Amino acid sequence: MKKRLIAALGMAMLTTAAMGISASAEDLVLFTWEGMFPQEVLDNFTEETGIEIIYSNFDTDETMLEKLAQAKGGDYDVIIADDYIIEQAVAAGLVGEIDKDIVTNFGNINPLYQGQFYDPEDIYTVPYGAGIPLIVYDPELTDVEIKGYNDLWDPSLEDAVAITANYRVINGITLLSMGKSMNEEDLDVIAQAGEKLLELAPNIRMIQDDNTQDALLNGEASAAFLYTSQVTAVLAENPDLEVVYPEEGLGFGIMAAFVPADAPNAEAANKFLNYILEPEVSKQCMEYIGYYNTTGAADDIVDPSLVVPDSVTKGEIIQNVSEEANEAYNKNWTEFKAACGAN
Amino acid sequence: MKNKKNLWGLCVMPLYFFTLLFILGPMIYMVAVSFAKNNGGAYGFTWNFTLNNYTKIGDPIYLQCFIQSFKLAFATTILVVLIGYPFGYFMAKLSPKGKKIMMFLIMVPFWTSSLIRLYGWIIILQVKGVLNTALKAIGLIDKPLKILYSYPAVLIGMIYALLPFMILAVYSSVEKMDWSLVEASRDLGASPAAAFVTVTLKLTLPGLLTGVILTFVPSMGLFFIADILGGNKIVLVGSLIQDQLTRGSNWPFAAALAVILTILTSLMIYLYRRITHVKDLEGIF
Repeated sequence: MKKRLIAALGMAMLTTAAMGISASAEDLVLFTWEGMFPQEVLDNFTEETGIEIIYSNFDTDETMLEKLAQAKGGDYDVIIADDYIIEQAVAAGLVGEIDKDIVTNFGNINPLYQGQFYDPEDIYTVPYGAGIPLIVYDPELTDVEIKGYNDLWDPSLEDAVAITANYRVINGITLLSMGKSMNEEDLDVIAQAGEKLLELAPNIRMIQDDNTQDALLNGEASAAFLYTSQVTAVLAENPDLEVVYPEEGLGFGIMAAFVPADAPNAEAANKFLNYILEPEVSKQCMEYIGYYNTTGAADDIVDPSLVVPDSVTKGEIIQNVSEEANEAYNKNWTEFKAACGAN
Repeated sequence: MKNKKNLWGLCVMPLYFFTLLFILGPMIYMVAVSFAKNNGGAYGFTWNFTLNNYTKIGDPIYLQCFIQSFKLAFATTILVVLIGYPFGYFMAKLSPKGKKIMMFLIMVPFWTSSLIRLYGWIIILQVKGVLNTALKAIGLIDKPLKILYSYPAVLIGMIYALLPFMILAVYSSVEKMDWSLVEASRDLGASPAAAFVTVTLKLTLPGLLTGVILTFVPSMGLFFIADILGGNKIVLVGSLIQDQLTRGSNWPFAAALAVILTILTSLMIYLYRRITHVKDLEGIF
C-alpha cells in the first residue's frame, strides 16, 4: 500500500532522511513517509503545546527499521510505519511502551484494529489508518446481490469479475470464504483453497494490480475486488457503484504510530499520539491520506466512505508464512491463472 | 599499418568490455542464482546449492506454462509469416517512391512506446471501445463482443508488435534478389507458382528465417502483451518469471525458469537452421 507509492518517490528523500537530526528538549522528531499529515494538523499541535515538530521522511519500511536500529531506538520520537515492520521493531526491542496516563484518548481507537499480531497486548502502538481491499460492483449489471467473497463464485458473474494480482491476498480471501485464516499454514487446507480458486476461474475477466478499477468503469467487469485507493477512485467516478464489506471478514493492512524505546522526548511523543487520537484531528488526517479511519471516536464526523460499518467485526492481516506454505500459495496462484486463461 | 590495426582493436575494446560486463556477467549470475536456495516468503535468497528449482519446473503446472508459451509463439510466428511475407514481397516490388513511403509508415509507430500502443489496443477492443461501437453502428452485432482479455486479443497484440520485423526482413531479402533467375525459370517453362516455390522462396528463405527468429524469440518473452491484453490470464513463462521475481519473491526459481527458457529458445533457433539449411541469416549472426 503506502510503501509502494513511497518507493517510487526515490532516492531524494533518502538523502533528506540521511542528514543528521538534532533535536532540543522542546522538539519532536516525527519519522514517517512523506505526506502523511496535513500541515495544519502539525501547526496546530505546535500552537497548542509549544512543541516544534521536525518531520523526517523515509521511503520504505525497511529503511526506517535500519535507521532505527542504528540509532538503537533513539533519535526519533514518533514513528509511523506498516504493521509487519512494527512486529520486527518490537521483536528487536526498539519500541517503547505507550504512556497511557498521557494518551488518555487511547479508548478512541476502533477495537477492530487492536490486538493485532504486531501488538497483541495493545501496549506499543496507536493505529493510524488502514488499507482494506473490498468488493465493488455495479448493481445494474449484476443479477446477484453481493454480500461476501462467496458471491464472487456465483455462476451469474461468468467472465465478469476483475481482481487484484497479489497471490497472498487472493488465496487469503478464498480461505476467508471457507471460514479459514488468511495465514493458513496447513498444506491440506491450502490445497483445498486451491481447488476452490479453480472454480472461480470461469468468472474472472481480468487480473491486474494497477488501475483495476478501470474495468468497472469501462464496462469490462461488473464486479471487482479492489485496493483502498482504487475503491476511492472508482467511487469518485461512479457513485452508483455498490461497495461490499465482505461478511466473511476483511483482510487489511494497518499503519501504526509508536514511540521508540529510547526516544529523546518520549513525553512530547505521547502527547502527540494523544493529539492525533482526538476525533477532529483524526478526521482531518484520514481525509487527507485517504485511508480507513482507525479512530472509532471519529467515525461520526469523518467522510463516511472512510468508515468501516459496525457490522464488520473481524479483520485479519497477511503475515509471512512458512516456506512450504508460501510455495503452496504460489502454486495455487499459477494454477488459478492458467485456469482463467483456459476458458 | 600495424599501428592503425592496433588502434582499431582499441576502438572495439569497449564493446567487448560491455558485452562481458553487461551480457555475459548477468547470465553467469543468473545461472548461479538458479542453484541457490530461496528464503521462503521473505525477500532474497541464500547461497546454498540446491537442484530444487529445476526439479520444480517438472511440476505439470509449470510445464503447462512452457507449453502455453510455445503454443502462443508458434501461432504468432505462423500468422506473422502469413501476413508479413506477402507484405514484404509486394513492398519490394513497389516503385522507389512507394517503397520510401511504405518504409516510413512501418517505422512511424516505433516513435511511440510499445506500451502506449498496446493501451491503444485496449481502447479499440474494450466493450465500450471503438471496434464494438463501429460494429454496432453498422448493425453487425447487437451485444458488444468481449474481445479484450481473451486469447484472440493477445494474439492480435503479438502480431501487431512483431509484424514489422518480419516485413523488413522479407523486404530486404526480396529486394536484393536477382529477378533474372525467376525470368529464366519462367522461360524454361515453369509455371508462376513453380517459379515462386523453386526460385523466389528459396532465395528469400534467409530473410524469411531471419523474420521467423525475430518473431519467435521475442514472442517467447513478450509477456506484458499477454498481461495487458489478456488480463493476466494467460500464464506464459515470462509472466511466471516476473511473478516469481516480484510477488512470489523466489529469485532462484525465476532464474531457473529463465535458464531453461534460454536453452529452449536457443534449441529452437538451432533446429530452424538445421531444417532449412540456412547458414547465413541476414541481419543477425
